[in-house]
Amino acid sequence: MDNGEIILNHKGPLSYEEIGFLLNRMTMLLDKLGMNVTTKKKAYSAMVESLENIYKHQDIIADDFEHVPLFTMERCDESFCISASNSILNHKIPALKEKLDRVNSLDKNGLKDLYKSTILSGNVSPKGGAGLGIINIAKVSENKIVYSFKQMNDTHSYFNIKVTISHKNTK
Amino acid sequence: MEPLIIEPTEFTPNVLFDPNNSVFEISGFSRPENVIGFYRPILKWLEEFNDNLLSINTDYKKSQLTINLKMTYFNSASSKFLLDILLEFMKFHSKGNKVDINWFYEEGDDEIQESGEEMSDMIGYPFNFISYKN
Repeated sequence: MDNGEIILNHKGPLSYEEIGFLLNRMTMLLDKLGMNVTTKKKAYSAMVESLENIYKHQDIIADDFEHVPLFTMERCDESFCISASNSILNHKIPALKEKLDRVNSLDKNGLKDLYKSTILSGNVSPKGGAGLGIINIAKVSENKIVYSFKQMNDTHSYFNIKVTISHKNTK
Repeated sequence: MEPLIIEPTEFTPNVLFDPNNSVFEISGFSRPENVIGFYRPILKWLEEFNDNLLSINTDYKKSQLTINLKMTYFNSASSKFLLDILLEFMKFHSKGNKVDINWFYEEGDDEIQESGEEMSDMIGYPFNFISYKN
């Protein structure tokens, strides 16, 4: 991953309106950079799912300022790199890790099949997640999702996800 | 039955279900904060419409329904509900009514076009794909 310029960042808890504000700024920036509609839509999808994931799972620990939700979007020569971090309850890690490893093991058609079987069988949770966000990120990124879990204490870890959207030859 | 009209907001699409003309449209942007709260009433309306229409359906009196979907973006949680809406329309088709599904996408927007192709595949019914210039 080449080092680039951070074009968007956010630190701290997210409200729904702030997600909209960040998305609008991203759209304006990508318009300014002359990106085509498909690149913009891919970046948009990856960003929505990453930010909504933070929004739904911001298991914030009140006095911990080191592990607050964090979002950055970086522009590199051939790609945009999205990085999103939030704290997560330790007991949720195995299921999430399994999901991430599964999408990383699949190609484009495999992801389409998984999306189809998930949407046809899964129910939407009370938080609005349909278990589809991670699959959607993998579908639009066309790259493996890089992730990490850093244990903070007995109950929480800090989860980070990195997604790359290629924009080479797509202007 | 009264039409279902939901004005668009920054996070939710425009919904216009007109039972008198048998035209059903959803257009715009879908990223509702409360996705269940937004889509459940639409599905409930459709179920009621379904009961009404099918109760007057006879072998000699069938309807023709037109569904226009002109989405610019929808998140993954919304896609589940859009699929449920389409499956509800498929019930009319299974009773012998004609259903046309038009899927609009901006020229060059591969994402929305592909999403439509996947939806069509998932419900096992062909869509008419119509591109437009922004």
